[in-house]
Amino acid sequence: MEGDRASCSTSSRNWQHGSYRARDGRRRKRRRKPWGERIADWTRALIAFLFSNVGIVCLVVGYTIAGAFLFTHIEGKNNLDIVADVIRLRNVTAATLWELTFKENVFSERIWKAKVKTVLENYQKKMVTAIKNGYDGAEESKRWSFAGAFLYSLTVITTIGYGNICPKTKSGKMVTIVYAIIGLPLFLLYLSNIGDILAKSFKWTYARCCLCKCRRKPLEMASRANTHDGADTRRNHWQMVDLNESEIDTFSVDRSTSVEDDETRERDDDDSYDPQQVTVPLTLCVAIMVGYIWGGAILFSEWEDWNMLDGSYFCFVSLSTIGFGDIVPGDKIYAAQGLDLSFIFCSMYLMLGMALIAMCFNLMQEEVIAKVRAFVRTIKYIFRCDR
Amino acid sequence: MTRVPIRSSLKSRDSNSSSTEPDLRKRIKNYCRKLVAFMCTQVGVGGLVVGYAIIGAFGFMMIETQSQIPSAACIRESIRKQYAEELWLSTASNRTINIFDKTTFRMVSNQILRRYQDNFTVDYRKENCSGLTATDLWSFPAAMMFCLSVFTMIGYGTLVPQTPWGKAVTVIYAVLGIPLYVLYFLNMGKVLAQTFRSLYTWLHECTGKRKAGQRITVPSTACLWVIFGYVLSGSIMFAAWEGWNYLDSAYFCVTSLCKIGMGDLVPGWTHGDLTADSQTKLIINFVYLLLGMGLIAMCYDLMKEDVYVKAREMKEQILEIVDATHYQLEMCCKSEILK
Repeated sequence: MEGDRASCSTSSRNWQHGSYRARDGRRRKRRRKPWGERIADWTRALIAFLFSNVGIVCLVVGYTIAGAFLFTHIEGKNNLDIVADVIRLRNVTAATLWELTFKENVFSERIWKAKVKTVLENYQKKMVTAIKNGYDGAEESKRWSFAGAFLYSLTVITTIGYGNICPKTKSGKMVTIVYAIIGLPLFLLYLSNIGDILAKSFKWTYARCCLCKCRRKPLEMASRANTHDGADTRRNHWQMVDLNESEIDTFSVDRSTSVEDDETRERDDDDSYDPQQVTVPLTLCVAIMVGYIWGGAILFSEWEDWNMLDGSYFCFVSLSTIGFGDIVPGDKIYAAQGLDLSFIFCSMYLMLGMALIAMCFNLMQEEVIAKVRAFVRTIKYIFRCDR
Repeated sequence: MTRVPIRSSLKSRDSNSSSTEPDLRKRIKNYCRKLVAFMCTQVGVGGLVVGYAIIGAFGFMMIETQSQIPSAACIRESIRKQYAEELWLSTASNRTINIFDKTTFRMVSNQILRRYQDNFTVDYRKENCSGLTATDLWSFPAAMMFCLSVFTMIGYGTLVPQTPWGKAVTVIYAVLGIPLYVLYFLNMGKVLAQTFRSLYTWLHECTGKRKAGQRITVPSTACLWVIFGYVLSGSIMFAAWEGWNYLDSAYFCVTSLCKIGMGDLVPGWTHGDLTADSQTKLIINFVYLLLGMGLIAMCYDLMKEDVYVKAREMKEQILEIVDATHYQLEMCCKSEILK
């Protein structure tokens, strides 16, 4: 396996060298490269980019934006229809009232009021059905504006699902099902990828700053740790944890796609695992999560005039993907003023928070597994001792 | 699911120690061990989850029913009366407006209706405006549904805690409940996956395609079919009960099983009106969801393996392609140089 990978990387490097040389030296000959090969080349590079860590973030954001446009298109029209219906209904009711006042004796207050009450009751019943069909009190369709639809798509793929806005049309529901089925694995991929990277960089920072451990090759480590935007390591690392058996089975699909510097890539796989031996204490992870929720609570309570309990409740419910939807940072988003900042901030908070929690779980799992094992061992030891 | 696989080592140790010495202390210890073993088995975890939900249901019922916040503004009757009064005042009895002028009248009444409508919409959207007290809302099945929606991370949001204490307890409840649920998820997944795999292997043996000793991985399409069938049966069931159309109930099933939980469609829940019939529906929904989560866990367990195999195959193919390209390029370069 290792040998395989090494041979693969060397061969690909050679091949890239070759292609570079070809491009530099003879530009004419490169044009003669067959079309099929060039297309394959392109698609390979494209796939590698999409699977890389920068790509996955862009993919998630792009998918959400596409979903936002889609849902605005589908649901916005329906909402306009409903609003028009409600306005017509109101006008009709006003006309009925006029008829009533015109025909009846206006000067008998009691009779007039009784009749008006029946009219109003009728009106109210129709309003209830309108609300059930998705009317929300706003004259224009602010609910399915771009920002609202963006948040909706985000809550679908993150499985938060506030439910304060939900599709009413048939096509909207159908699209939601399909959108969720495609989007969920995508978001899981995002979480595992970004969580992994964040965990690695956090471990590195922790080792460097808190434990003052100097590594053998700090430069390389630095370059490895800052792969947020860097382009030297692109690997797709899937980790599946089986809590029950307390074992991790990990596999990584390495794709050697480096286009630039070959020198740092030379030993990229083998000795990079050294700084990752550090185990970050459990309390620190918990503190990070609590701190993130706390910070979010402070920010949201400033922003939305909630109290601290409501703010932290909201943050917790959102980040644990429960998403009741009783408290939503809504009104500023759906009422179009101050739109951009609030909605961008909210979605950033959600996406970052999810990644952070994934990171914390990534860091915690080893420690928890070790603790559980130790616990089991002690229990076994105690029982054995007694007998 | 019916069989109880107790770990053999624990079992044997239990029988050993119990047979040798009927000491009280030993017996208690034995008991504890058995209890732990049972709790660690799959059935135990399922029972634990259900028990946790029941405890949570009672707790939330107790907390939430203590708050008696009367919402006077929510009673529709009074709102309607108030607006009728206002209409009267502004039209019939108002001397400044000529009641025989149609357009003015319409404008005024339209404005009043508009305000009425806004007021009404806002009230309707609030959860506690259904005219039901907290005691009616937090019936036992509803509270249990709430607990389930908390620790499975579905979060329908049809029923939410209103009191500060309720909110705080929800957070704590979720912190404790979610790991428990994840444990259930993984355990259930493993048991169901084993069962399914043996079933699949048995089927394979029946058709005679399998040679002895060959290990069979269940293809992921089979898992997808199982999930598809489950969603289909669920949507047919809910459609029949609730009078939804099939799209609606399929939408409900998918959003619930994906843990999105919009909460616009919940069986047995139409804006706070709970009847005895709908309570059974809530319970059945509870069972459907727990089983469905188990099935999803099973598919996760099975597909993990399959995806792993597929990914390895793909990797090998990619390696071959890279090698072939490399070879061709080299040949190409050589021929260029030779020319």
